[in-house]
Amino acid sequence: MADEITSILETIGITPETFIVFMIVVIMVVGAIVVIVTTRPILDIYPYLNPIAKVRARKGRLFSEKQITEIVDANNTGEVVNYLRGFPDYAPYLDNYSLDKALDIQLADTYDLIYRIAPKEIKKSFKIMSKKTDIYNIKSLIIAKEVGFNADETRDLLIPSGSMYDNLEALVDSDNITSIVTALDGTEYGSVLEDALPKYEETNMILPLEAALDNYYLKNLLASTEVPADENKQILFSYVGTQVDIANLKLIIRAKEDGLDYNTISSYILSDGYQLREWKLKDLMESQDVSNIVSSLEGTKYANILSDALAEYTEKGNVSVFEKALDSYLAKSANSLALKKPLGIGPIIGYVSKKETEIRNLKIIARAKREANYPASKIMEMLI
Amino acid sequence: MVEIALGTALAAIGAGVAIGFAGLGSGLGQGMAAAGSVGAVAEDSEMFSKGIIFSALPETQAIYGFLIAILLLVFSGLLGGGAGLSTTAGIVAIGVGASIGFAGLGSGMGQGIAAASSVGAIVEDDEMFSRGIIFSALPETQAIYGFLIAILLMVFGGILG
Repeated sequence: MADEITSILETIGITPETFIVFMIVVIMVVGAIVVIVTTRPILDIYPYLNPIAKVRARKGRLFSEKQITEIVDANNTGEVVNYLRGFPDYAPYLDNYSLDKALDIQLADTYDLIYRIAPKEIKKSFKIMSKKTDIYNIKSLIIAKEVGFNADETRDLLIPSGSMYDNLEALVDSDNITSIVTALDGTEYGSVLEDALPKYEETNMILPLEAALDNYYLKNLLASTEVPADENKQILFSYVGTQVDIANLKLIIRAKEDGLDYNTISSYILSDGYQLREWKLKDLMESQDVSNIVSSLEGTKYANILSDALAEYTEKGNVSVFEKALDSYLAKSANSLALKKPLGIGPIIGYVSKKETEIRNLKIIARAKREANYPASKIMEMLI
Repeated sequence: MVEIALGTALAAIGAGVAIGFAGLGSGLGQGMAAAGSVGAVAEDSEMFSKGIIFSALPETQAIYGFLIAILLLVFSGLLGGGAGLSTTAGIVAIGVGASIGFAGLGSGMGQGIAAASSVGAIVEDDEMFSRGIIFSALPETQAIYGFLIAILLMVFGGILG
């Protein structure tokens, strides 16, 4: 056999040594191809494995439906606080802060944690999300000045978290809203607020300032995911885009309920969304009333959600039914996105969404428990 | 220079392929499982022992590759100074190495992904441990097939015995 191979090789002018070298080269080439093809998907997964384990550990510590029911059954806020003290995720915050503030700080720290552990390719979006706390604090400063709170009362409104907390805390002594805006000059929010300042001075309403901050946040969030290079970023784009659409929809519905026209609403809204593009938003803003908004949404994924809530709205006459329906949809949508990429961004989105829902529900419970004898069944109805 | 028969040299290539690719799969798999485990332990220190178990699972592919490589080196005469292999047996030895090498590569990576997922599931819900072990053990079968075929090739290809 060996002689036959040798003679064949000699016939075609190849020495056994050349043949061995050839074999080695072939194996190396085949090996390199196999390595490249097989490791490429692994390289996509690799950066997510550590963060996924961390968020899943935290997801496992979120309250179950049974635990939420137990909290709802508490007799007052004190009992809610005592219950939450039994959980390491909440206990350290409750030792130092009031219930509402502890919940706010916990959520702010969650955004910060996700930003710190998120893989590089999706970090930017979560960095923007972590700025929610700074925006909340700036809004609180503005509201406090609007209602005439003193320094201590203003400080009480702030969440002691976020990258700008120290700078913002120094502004609690500001004389008025204009001086707060001036003091923020040089920060990323400076020009945003300065642009909205003339409208505030003209109308003497803080809504233009709040809307400018909200739009700046949503615009940056959407822009951070607008080049969906891979499946992870596509999922993030879908999640963030849905948030933007829902924020726009909530604002339009509330504005229509208050009888505002297109010109008034358009200055407060983010001009372009995800599924609801500019022309569609214009249609919605030009709608005559809330029912027309629902019919104008025909063909979008929001049509069915709002149609289902329309009957309840007609009965109760309160637009909060639409807001609850949209919030529930956002939570469900995040849940289904979370299942799409279990070894990618999925668990991270799933956890962020569930944590936001948990904090929102705990705040609803805390607010209800401040009123004596508020029925547990009504609280359950209000929960997302 | 040491005189090595062509068959023995081919068997050396087979040994390299066996441990090289099986080790690559095992390393990638173990890296994935360990990355997930470190994340879990950072949140829950009680996950350390479970993380070690899942991180150790993809080690087996490298062991199979190492074992086959050693057998090839010994029976090809490269280690121990026995008689060298014929060219035909040397070609069979490359098949032996490829069998466990590529099977180990796929099996190791698959097991690593399953193990990392299992660690994530267990840190969320402790009751997932036994189910996680079962799912993580499934990709082991491909490495076992590769190992069995490698042994059979060595036995019936004139390398062993």
